[in-house]
Amino acid sequence: MNVENWRLKIRRKHNELNSEDLSPVSLTRYSEFSGVKRKRDTLEIDENMSDNSSDFSKRANFSAITSNGINRNLNILNLKPTTTKKIVIKNLKSEPKLPDDFREQTWGKLQEAVLAIQNSRANEYSLEELYKAVENMCIHNMAHTLYNNLHVLIDNHVRRNIEQFLAESMDRFLFLKKMNETWQAHCRQMIMIRNIFLCLDRTYVLHNAQIASIWDMGLELFRQYIMANTLVQTRIVEGLLMLIEKERQGDTVDRTLLKSLLRMLTDLQIYEKAFEEKFLVATERLYAAEGQRLMQELDVPDYLAHVDKRLIEENERVYHYLDANTKPRLIHTVEKQLLTDHVTNILQKGLDGLLEENRLNDLSLLYSLFGRVKNGHTELCTAFNLYIKKRGRTIVIDPEKDKTMVQELLDFKDAMDNIVATCFNKNEKFSNSLKEAFENFINQRTNKPAELIAKFVDSKLRAGNKEATEEELERLLDKIMVLFRFIHGKDVFEAFYKKDLAKRLLVGKSASVDAEKSMLSKLKQECGGGFTSKLEGMFKDMELSKDINVAFKQHLSNTSQELSAIDMTVNILTMGYWPNYPLMNVVLPEEMVKFQEIFSKFYLSKHSGRKLTWQPTLGHCVLRAKFKLGMKELVVSLFQSLVLLLFNSHDELSFDYIKGATNIEDGELRRTLQSLACGRARVLNKIPKGRDVEDNDKFRFNNDFVNKLFRIKINQIQMKETTEEQKATEERVFQDRQYQIDAAIVRIMKMRKTLSHNLLISELYLQLKFPVKPADLKKRIESLIDRDYMERDKDNPNHYNYVA
Amino acid sequence: MKVTIKNWVGVATWKWVANDDNCGICRMPFDGCCPDCKLPGDDCPLVWGQCSHCFHMHCIVKWLQSQQVNQQCPMCRQEWKFNNK
Ligand SMILES: [Zn+2]
Ligand SMILES: [Zn+2]
Ligand SMILES: [Zn+2]
Repeated sequence: MNVENWRLKIRRKHNELNSEDLSPVSLTRYSEFSGVKRKRDTLEIDENMSDNSSDFSKRANFSAITSNGINRNLNILNLKPTTTKKIVIKNLKSEPKLPDDFREQTWGKLQEAVLAIQNSRANEYSLEELYKAVENMCIHNMAHTLYNNLHVLIDNHVRRNIEQFLAESMDRFLFLKKMNETWQAHCRQMIMIRNIFLCLDRTYVLHNAQIASIWDMGLELFRQYIMANTLVQTRIVEGLLMLIEKERQGDTVDRTLLKSLLRMLTDLQIYEKAFEEKFLVATERLYAAEGQRLMQELDVPDYLAHVDKRLIEENERVYHYLDANTKPRLIHTVEKQLLTDHVTNILQKGLDGLLEENRLNDLSLLYSLFGRVKNGHTELCTAFNLYIKKRGRTIVIDPEKDKTMVQELLDFKDAMDNIVATCFNKNEKFSNSLKEAFENFINQRTNKPAELIAKFVDSKLRAGNKEATEEELERLLDKIMVLFRFIHGKDVFEAFYKKDLAKRLLVGKSASVDAEKSMLSKLKQECGGGFTSKLEGMFKDMELSKDINVAFKQHLSNTSQELSAIDMTVNILTMGYWPNYPLMNVVLPEEMVKFQEIFSKFYLSKHSGRKLTWQPTLGHCVLRAKFKLGMKELVVSLFQSLVLLLFNSHDELSFDYIKGATNIEDGELRRTLQSLACGRARVLNKIPKGRDVEDNDKFRFNNDFVNKLFRIKINQIQMKETTEEQKATEERVFQDRQYQIDAAIVRIMKMRKTLSHNLLISELYLQLKFPVKPADLKKRIESLIDRDYMERDKDNPNHYNYVA
Repeated sequence: MKVTIKNWVGVATWKWVANDDNCGICRMPFDGCCPDCKLPGDDCPLVWGQCSHCFHMHCIVKWLQSQQVNQQCPMCRQEWKFNNK
């Protein structure tokens, strides 16, 4: 609080005390003329007055003086009784005589007092005396004259005061300061004058609706002289605008002065007309230019920070000195010039960078600022969507990056999710848009993402993947499922997933049964039981095989057949569940053939109407091998076993001989020999040495084989998945789709009996879980018509009938 | 003997031995299942008649239920009898 305010406050306190002394309660003591009725009237008023004065004392701010003045005036108006009360004096035999010069003397006193206040001189008379003088004049019907006299006094004073502002060459700032002092003085004086003339306000003014209260009369005169003089008014407004512009440029200005003068304009009711319009125009002009300039000069994060700063500043401006009613239009102007007009530009210039660099704070600011603009969030969301599609496409489209595609997709999804959650206020519009964008770009490359996601899952579920705990694995699988959800060709995923799952199950390579089951239930939840039924069938086959093997062992011991000490177990796979495996007829040692025969006979005796086909590519063995330095156990594939067993009768064998003796397919055999002779554990020696197996190579049993371990796993070298093999899997998917389309058409037609082409197509789209073109559906329908499953309606070629 | 087999895990696949590729009732391949089932194999078994015709079990049972008078094979119209071979 500055000194001025402080002084004012003290003075006000003083005034209050005085008016207490002169309160209408004590007034009755002096007035011999009033009857009981009147006493009651004044008492009623007094209650309200004291309410007001306690209200008055609570306010520390000088601007409250004016508002209090208005309040009091309003209260008095409210107090006007609905039926006019008149002072009626009865039963007095003779009126007390007034001195002849009563009017001149009394007014003289009062005039003296008013002039003293206006000229800041000491007052000769006590306030009590002055108050009584006013009271007496009112009682003796001189209120009208008194009011008019007072009006003239104030009019003269205000007019004189304004004159000093007409001088041409006054410094703008000094001008404002002086104007403020004048205004402050006016308010102070009017309060003091009003206190003295309180009785006038309460009687004469109260009973004459068209007469302004003393306080309002002062305001009216002040307004009149300022309004009347456009020069003064313009200078005030221009001065204020100059100060504000200075502040906007970063200078410190006298906010108290601004506030006081703006309050003056409000009190004089010229704030809107004289100031606000011009202020808003200046604001618009300033920020229009600033927006254009800074969009060029600054990068987007800095620009946003600047806009944010500007908005805070303007809000403070309202808080500190502007009229609260200016706020909506002021803020809207700033928003329009700095944001609305640049929305497209900001997004084009900056959004991608912010997203790329994960600038969370800047993105949060962007979101909150755009929330102020009409359609701002919609525009932001559209740009966000475009970015994801553009960036996502680069992840999936380039075959060079296939190795890292899935991990990159997971990371990208995490980053975007995080941005929506932390910067975009979890706005559903954004998260939906994010999903739509992912679904869009991930399907821009057919089949590959599905395949790679399947393989990624395999790498995580395979034994030896020690990088994750159970919980971490579970979380990872959940994230993968989110990607999976976006894939249109889910059957492609299934084909590859199934191939890998088969390997994990048959070679015992699965890291955890729990994790396998968990993944399966996720897939089931996502795609329904139809999708996972075959995968579940694979698990079921593994369980059933266990039972069959127990029964087989029982059978062997019951029939006590003469067999060597091979411990044989067999996995029986239901053809339809598992991937298709190439048929290979290899030559097995006699004892193995015998085992297979016994098992087949046993199995078919339990399950009639079936045919068993042995799959040598999937078999594996544990061998006991005797080396010079001791016995080892070798964990090997069936093909590796077949090769090694040949060396029981020979020390050295040629490639051709081995090929003829085992009948293993050429490429498969070369890889098998490579794994045994060129890998880490070399149980065979290749002659001559070298990485690749040639037609003329010879192989020797490596009697000198050494290894720290007793049980050694010799990995079969996997054929690198060639494009052809890839194609083969895709081809299988394609064929399976044809079959599924046929089945769906027959199912629908059987149920509906007759159906139009369009309805059949739309039902098919509801049932089929993979992308398919209408032309393909048409082909399948034609094929089914050819095969007599259905026919065209004779009368209506657009309708089909089911053929039972 | 340098090398002997300690244990051997063999793998075999099974499928139905049917005298036709498709079921004569539902016309679906026997490698697949009947239209009411999702999963081929044990869940949708095949059955043989003494006439040697073979169908999805679910299909022939439904067929027989729909025949009021005579229980005939839908293919050869002989009286239907399950062949429990
Ligand atoms: Zn059938
Ligand atoms: Zn069935
Ligand atoms: Zn028959």
